[in-house]
Amino acid sequence: MEVLINLTLNGLATGMLIFLLAAGLTLIFGLMDVLNFAHGGLFAWGAYSGTWIYTSTGSFFAGIAGAILTGLILGLATEKWIIKPVYGNHIQQILITLGLMLVLSEMLKVVWGPNQISASPPSYLAGSWELGNIIIIKYRVFIIAVGLMVFALVQYVLKSTKIGLVVRAGVMDKEMVQSLGINIQKIFMMVFMVGAAMAALGGVLLAPYSGVIYAEMGLEFAILAFIVVVIGGMGSFPGSILAAVLVGLSGSFMAYYVPSLSLAVNMLLMSAVLIFRPQGLFGLKG
Amino acid sequence: MTVQLRLNEVETHIGQYHIIQGVSFEVRKGEVTVLLGRNGAGKTTTLRTIMGLNPASSGTIHYKGEDISRLPTFTVAQKGIGYVPEDQGIFSGLTVEENMKVAMKNDNDSTKERLELILVLFPDLKKFWKKPGGLLSGGQKQMLSIARAYINDNDLLLIDEPSKGLAPIVVEKVMETIMEMKEKTTIVLVEQNFMMASTVGDRFYIIDDGRTVSNGPMKLLKEDEEMRRKYLGIA
Amino acid sequence: MKQLMGNRMNAVYLAVAIFLIILPFVYESRTLLILLTQVFIFAIFAMSYDILLGYTGIVSFGHAMFFGIGAYTVGVFMKRFEPTVPNLLLSILVTILLTALVSYVLGLLTLRLKSHFYAMLTMAVAGLFLVLAEKWRTVTYGNDGFTFRVPDMLKDRTDFYLICLVSMIAVFALLKRFTNSPLGRVLQAIRENEQRTESLGYSVLHYKVIASVVSGILAGMSGILYAISLRFVNTSVFTMDITLDALLMTIIGGVGTLVGAIIGAGLIEFAHHWLTELAKVHWIFERWIIFFGIIYILAVMFFPMGIVGTLRNIKFKGKKEKQQKAGEKIAS
Repeated sequence: MEVLINLTLNGLATGMLIFLLAAGLTLIFGLMDVLNFAHGGLFAWGAYSGTWIYTSTGSFFAGIAGAILTGLILGLATEKWIIKPVYGNHIQQILITLGLMLVLSEMLKVVWGPNQISASPPSYLAGSWELGNIIIIKYRVFIIAVGLMVFALVQYVLKSTKIGLVVRAGVMDKEMVQSLGINIQKIFMMVFMVGAAMAALGGVLLAPYSGVIYAEMGLEFAILAFIVVVIGGMGSFPGSILAAVLVGLSGSFMAYYVPSLSLAVNMLLMSAVLIFRPQGLFGLKG
Repeated sequence: MTVQLRLNEVETHIGQYHIIQGVSFEVRKGEVTVLLGRNGAGKTTTLRTIMGLNPASSGTIHYKGEDISRLPTFTVAQKGIGYVPEDQGIFSGLTVEENMKVAMKNDNDSTKERLELILVLFPDLKKFWKKPGGLLSGGQKQMLSIARAYINDNDLLLIDEPSKGLAPIVVEKVMETIMEMKEKTTIVLVEQNFMMASTVGDRFYIIDDGRTVSNGPMKLLKEDEEMRRKYLGIA
Repeated sequence: MKQLMGNRMNAVYLAVAIFLIILPFVYESRTLLILLTQVFIFAIFAMSYDILLGYTGIVSFGHAMFFGIGAYTVGVFMKRFEPTVPNLLLSILVTILLTALVSYVLGLLTLRLKSHFYAMLTMAVAGLFLVLAEKWRTVTYGNDGFTFRVPDMLKDRTDFYLICLVSMIAVFALLKRFTNSPLGRVLQAIRENEQRTESLGYSVLHYKVIASVVSGILAGMSGILYAISLRFVNTSVFTMDITLDALLMTIIGGVGTLVGAIIGAGLIEFAHHWLTELAKVHWIFERWIIFFGIIYILAVMFFPMGIVGTLRNIKFKGKKEKQQKAGEKIAS
């Protein structure tokens, strides 16, 4: 029982981190048809900048705010200077975002050095609660709570505001949205920035969770996020959280019971989706 | 009579294809101008070029005297041009209400007034108000698309083949609506259905192989069987 | 005219080939020899990538997996069994089978979907191979990898240099023929306009899968040569860095030209070597990849044809303008 609860919490926490990365990917893809291969780089930049602020100010929340700000700024710059110039050309987009990924992760090493950086949760989130003989690690619960909050917030904006309405309409038919007098470029930019900020938030939350951060973590998590986006359906926001939790849980359970197969299971799941339902389990378009 | 919209020797390329090779026409205020021509002649692309969806590669488009030929789509729309595309462009996952809301520029009294008028014109929309647009029938989608273009204070509507794929009785309903809207706004209509075109249209232009080849008052075309056969394949 | 230019290019290729063949006999530098060997190996790898990206318009982000399959296959064969020539040939055969199988399945799965699916799936599968190489310790010895002995005939550095050079020339000639064949023309038609090719009655998926398999097998071959050159293999052969090398080489050199891939391989390998040397002067050069990353981004944005393609375009434009002028004269 204890093991089961711990594995579940662990899987949910990892799932939430992947969700924060995948949500941006899927929204950006849905709206602009851009698959941003640099998204993992934004995640890693969030982790580094946030951890740096956290350790130098001592305030974890300042770190989180810093990471989000970094995400917004990098998102803005990326959309303006990298994505926009090659808008409409798929192959160029794919190639250029991967190039950006490369530059972003190398720049991390230039700014913060090539070595791993360690991080730990602030005192009020460290340690665990004991319920009988079940030990619940506080920080995991914190990550799950933050993930759910972000999901609820984005879902609220999408469902209940005019801008969310426009984003949803844009995912379905970009041309029509513009024909109705809406500047979709502006919407793109905002969505891109929000997506980047979510990725950066995921990065800074990961740091104390895994204990160390390193430049390559961006790519590692990005691969998981891609799997999630395929399984959840490209462009489906609710799909991204469901698939992220699925991947997080399967990763955590498999790592415990059949460690050698943990990544393989997700890959198999993705392959099955690609064969039988390429639009994803919850997706609208393929 | 004031000219609302004027196209002058407009050419449009899509990729390597030269679709529009010289389209010129004038749309007079308060009239329904019908673009006629065979399938693939370039009528739809002409409307898309006006909207900036397939920008013109040469020539000019003036709306109320202002050159709009290089403006992005959303600015063209903001100038007061409403667009009803051939495939209706309904956001299938959004409800009818949400479809209307995306289009509404503001929430003032005149918008509300128009909305009331629309719901009188199209009672079906009221019935399906909270249902997703994807569930509507072809005719209802057409109504929704027209309603969406009409909800704002637009001075010009571009309507692309509203009768396509609709049952005759529904076509009649669409026709009535256009006649009704004509009281308040100028309309450019692309139409294959000659019965409809000749009923609602004041003036026609024929587009053939990407060029405007003939024009005049609708009455003229009604009488000229030869021209109808030559360009439209109908007698 | 085209014939003449073709002949002139062939003369240049021949001169360069002869120069490279006699080089080790007149100029003795072990460092240069090893560096050039690396260039030849990566040129094969980059050319295999060019078949996908440049000739068919497919983006793969997991090309390292084929490279790695080749490297590990030959390594395992040489380590587990005797390092003899028959065993080497056997390992080549196994590499062909494995790479063909993997590229076939991957291609069939995703090439019918939009381009980013293939990019994503290959990236993920390459990641899977990396994990496999790390975890399957009984065979791969994990992260640290293992050293192995090679057949006697491959031991001499100069001989191996020549083998790699000849392999590169052979692959170049082979792919030149392949891309100029009717099949190669279909691939290029797919790159230009997939829908039109499909509507002309070609099964696009079928041809894309062929390109994917040819490319995968050749990448496997370059992996074999790479492992033999080091007599050592570890998990680095499966990393993203290897795929990035192929990308940088083809993009900077020029996509869809083959010779661009060779030039790109030379540039990147030499630059890598020099900049690593420079790292002793200033640490920033240790991050040399940043410079290439930036050049790469600028190239994708402004010179999507790369060095060779851009040069060719300039030439071609000049000629086209002349032709146009001549045409105008006739018309008037």
